[in-house]
Amino acid sequence: MSANQRARLTAASRFSISLKTREILAAYTFLAPFMVFFLIFVVRAVVEAVRMSFYDWHILRPSRPYIGIENYIELINDNVWWIALQNTIVFTALTVVGTTIVALAAAVAVTRPIRGQNFFRVLLYTPSLLSVGAVGLIWVWLLNTQFGIVNYGLSFVGARPVNWLGDPGLVIPSLSLTSIWWGFGFPMLIFIAGLQGIPEQLYEAARIDGGSSADLFWHITLPLLRPTILFVTVTGVISHFQVYGQPFIMTNGGPGRSSYSLIFYLYQIAWTAFRMGYGAAVAVCIAVIMAALTSVQFLVLSRRIEY
Amino acid sequence: MKPERSILPQHTITYVFLTLLGLFVVFPMLIAVSQSFMTNQEVNRWPPQIIPVEPTLASINAVLTQQDLRLDLWLRNSLIAATGYTAAVLLLCAPAAFAFARLKFPGNNLLFGFLLITIMIPSQVTLIPNYLLMRDLQWLDTFNALVFPGAANVFGVFLLRQFFIQVPTDLEEAAVLDGAGYFGRFWHVILPLSRNALTALGIFVFLFHYNDLFWPFIVTNSLETRTLPVGLAILNSSYAGQYRPMVLSGAVLSSIPILIVYIIFQRQIIQGITLTGMGGR
Repeated sequence: MSANQRARLTAASRFSISLKTREILAAYTFLAPFMVFFLIFVVRAVVEAVRMSFYDWHILRPSRPYIGIENYIELINDNVWWIALQNTIVFTALTVVGTTIVALAAAVAVTRPIRGQNFFRVLLYTPSLLSVGAVGLIWVWLLNTQFGIVNYGLSFVGARPVNWLGDPGLVIPSLSLTSIWWGFGFPMLIFIAGLQGIPEQLYEAARIDGGSSADLFWHITLPLLRPTILFVTVTGVISHFQVYGQPFIMTNGGPGRSSYSLIFYLYQIAWTAFRMGYGAAVAVCIAVIMAALTSVQFLVLSRRIEY
Repeated sequence: MKPERSILPQHTITYVFLTLLGLFVVFPMLIAVSQSFMTNQEVNRWPPQIIPVEPTLASINAVLTQQDLRLDLWLRNSLIAATGYTAAVLLLCAPAAFAFARLKFPGNNLLFGFLLITIMIPSQVTLIPNYLLMRDLQWLDTFNALVFPGAANVFGVFLLRQFFIQVPTDLEEAAVLDGAGYFGRFWHVILPLSRNALTALGIFVFLFHYNDLFWPFIVTNSLETRTLPVGLAILNSSYAGQYRPMVLSGAVLSSIPILIVYIIFQRQIIQGITLTGMGGR
């Protein structure tokens, strides 16, 4: 034992309080940089957003009168808010369901013991690496009414040209299709990890009992993957609820307001109309809705742990 | 030997399915690449051309040389901003995660619980106040605005803490006997043993930031400070109406760097994304 170590041990036994204090000081030092940023850009910002939502705060006007809950009253009577909310809900539902099905099917296929497993895995994840800008520009043109490849393909089965992004009833499903193409890679990887956690013996036993591969999927894979499916759908809801880039790039919210999403509308209010106070109220309401969705996630996922 | 026999037709179905899905994934990208080599007349033609009849570099040249498009600068900005952001996230989150995972201090659990609750608050609610703060600090149009506001990433602390807790404590105890202090334990024991987790988080936040659109769009406003995703939005609004192949060329060119990185580091990227996704559960 070196002198140094002996000294430390003696110090530890004799001055245990000061050692404890040292650990506390060390902990706060390690935490300090993160906490400074966290306090400025998260805590302060949230408090400030709530405060601003009670003011008539226009970025170009020097006077910012306190107006109580008037912004929230305006919001309740704001047609566009409700349109955007409805669009966002429909988009989220379509995209999450579609993404989950495609991702699960892809994950099941690439975890089969086949050659080229890795090739397909890498290939299928590729769109997820693109920016929403690139994805949007590519798909706007694919879905073009006059010259788009999608309508060209459909013309072989005798379909008339479809106005995918210009028809109020079709624009949200079209944005969903684009988003499924773009985003199914991440849930696919999660499903692959989930599938690899299912013990192979279960399948072997079921095969010996004469189960078909459909039986195996419905009675082994799906029930055991339930927690993963929950995780994927709930996180999917949260991320797609924040959709902004697709309508911004592909439709600019149109036709009319048929593809306004909540975040797109928030952008319009705060950075086109410069109404920061009303924008803050809209943001707070979006946050409350999303916090509710996230709580559902926590509840659903923590219930799983009891199994 | 029943299972052996059932394998072959099953795999045929798998291959057919994967090929169709692969085409669904690849076809849009290939069309965009192919039409980047077309003229405007060729793109605006029915039936649509899949392969250019007379391939031309005109559209690609135009994207690279137009005065109001700076793909080179936008790429540089995206790389600098995403790298800076990734470094900031790791530098802030790793020490904090170490404190939560390994050190005893009053309020450890309380503070960590508070951080977890704030994960539920979506970043949108912070957009307006943080934008106004950037304006007041005169950080608009600078890298500071792209790097710092999102750097206190609570998810990063949560993820790294999960990994740090799993590092066996005996190695740290040995280091302490060798005279290591708290920083030594963090720097020489925990960090090297958590390289996978740090890489995974790094890849995850880099890709997120590299492709982010909303925040860079509102905090930058001059041609020279835009990032790639924002640049593409500008390209689209200025040229989509009159010159479609240019827009497609822009989409393709802007995607090449990240795809090259993906081809080289595919294993690390796939593993990193999976690890981060699983760690978040």
